[in-house]
Amino acid sequence: MFEYYNGDDGVSKTGDIIMPDELAMDSKALIFATLADVYLTSGMVDEAISILKDGLSRNPNYTLGKIILGRAYYLKGDTEQALKILEQIYDQAKESESENLYLGHIYKKLGDYEKAISFYETTLKINPENKEAKRELELLKPKINMEEVVAAPIEPAKPVETITPEMVAVPKEEIPVQELPVEENIEKMEPEPEIVVEEKKPEKTSEVVIQQETPTGVEAEIKPEIQEPVVSKEQPAVEEIEVTPILPEIGLEPVVEEKVVEKPSPFDALNEPMQRLIDIKTVNGAFILSRDGLLIQSYYKGREDIEELCALIAGIFNDADNAFKFLKAGNLEKFIIEKSDETICVITAGESLLCIITKPEAKPGLVFVYARKIIEEIRKILE
Amino acid sequence: MELSQLTKIPRVLGAGLATFDGFIIDSQFVHGYDAEKFGAMSAKIVNQIKKNFSKENASIILYTDNIIFLAKAKNEGVLFVIADKDANLGLIKIKFEKM
Repeated sequence: MFEYYNGDDGVSKTGDIIMPDELAMDSKALIFATLADVYLTSGMVDEAISILKDGLSRNPNYTLGKIILGRAYYLKGDTEQALKILEQIYDQAKESESENLYLGHIYKKLGDYEKAISFYETTLKINPENKEAKRELELLKPKINMEEVVAAPIEPAKPVETITPEMVAVPKEEIPVQELPVEENIEKMEPEPEIVVEEKKPEKTSEVVIQQETPTGVEAEIKPEIQEPVVSKEQPAVEEIEVTPILPEIGLEPVVEEKVVEKPSPFDALNEPMQRLIDIKTVNGAFILSRDGLLIQSYYKGREDIEELCALIAGIFNDADNAFKFLKAGNLEKFIIEKSDETICVITAGESLLCIITKPEAKPGLVFVYARKIIEEIRKILE
Repeated sequence: MELSQLTKIPRVLGAGLATFDGFIIDSQFVHGYDAEKFGAMSAKIVNQIKKNFSKENASIILYTDNIIFLAKAKNEGVLFVIADKDANLGLIKIKFEKM
């Protein structure tokens, strides 16, 4: 799920954010962006926004941080704010897969399918393997066709219900000479006529049918676009027709909303080993926190002061670690605080800490055996 | 309280008793380890635990990649032990709790 620091354009082939090499030079930037990304993938959007805002106040020119912030606002549902942030940095981040992908998502949500398609296409140019962009394009292109179908009744001339699937565009060359002046008018309205439709089904010549139903050339030119289910890449006429309010009636919107929620948390991989640990009778609960005292993931049900505990533990850890470094006694790896009512075991797992709270009678050796396995998983997820 | 009970355990590098403000009351350390610095550190950490968790006589065991450090708040002050990473921590802990 996570692919950090590969030094590309800031995104992975799967569309996830990747930390570029230059981040490694600024450890503060690395921490807040990494942590925010972890929070986002864990569904903790508000926490991610808070960290990003704080981090960006210290690193205001940090483009990747802004991309993640835009993504966070999008996931929160604040499309307007997300759009504002992502558009602000578009010039610096136009080569970013994630930037384009999320702009696509935002415009799709706003109903501007033309722009959404454009951004998804850009995403695919950057990374042709981006499955999310491919899937969105597959969903959106039929929508554009539907827009055309819906838009047709706006034309005042002829009733659309008489249109049959057999109807096909009339090639320009086949239009009778007397209709040419009308077509010229159409060309003024629609600068790029749909010739592609013609090429796909050349064997069908429904000129007579069209002419019967559409005495003027206007409908003859528009209707073939309506009937053709295969999308032509050029969609010049669509911009002129307002169809957004009609789409929910067609029932396509719910499909759009589903995907944001789908992403599984990377911490799902921890559920099994964590459950084994928590199943030990003497273990009360466990949680993962960052070294700066922020909660990453909690497996301690029913305790409400977890965040306070995170801050206290991180404080003790950092003080002790600094003291040991000062004394040249090595780096702090783990510690146990034994209190009368509970024992707190804290173990480092890369940039994060795993904290296990046990009853006083627990066997610390057993706890550490399980903890070691979990730490390996955490390292894989966070590093 | 005899610190030698702790320091005679194999691979124990030293033990000491410090006041809650970090001054050494008594200590036995092998050469190369500064009892005052470790005493100050143990007082700081124990005070922090007492302040944050509001628990008297809480103890802490810290593991670094070189040493193991134990500290506990006693009535007289902060008792602390430093041992090599390979030392028998279980034995040290038993003696440590008894003191």
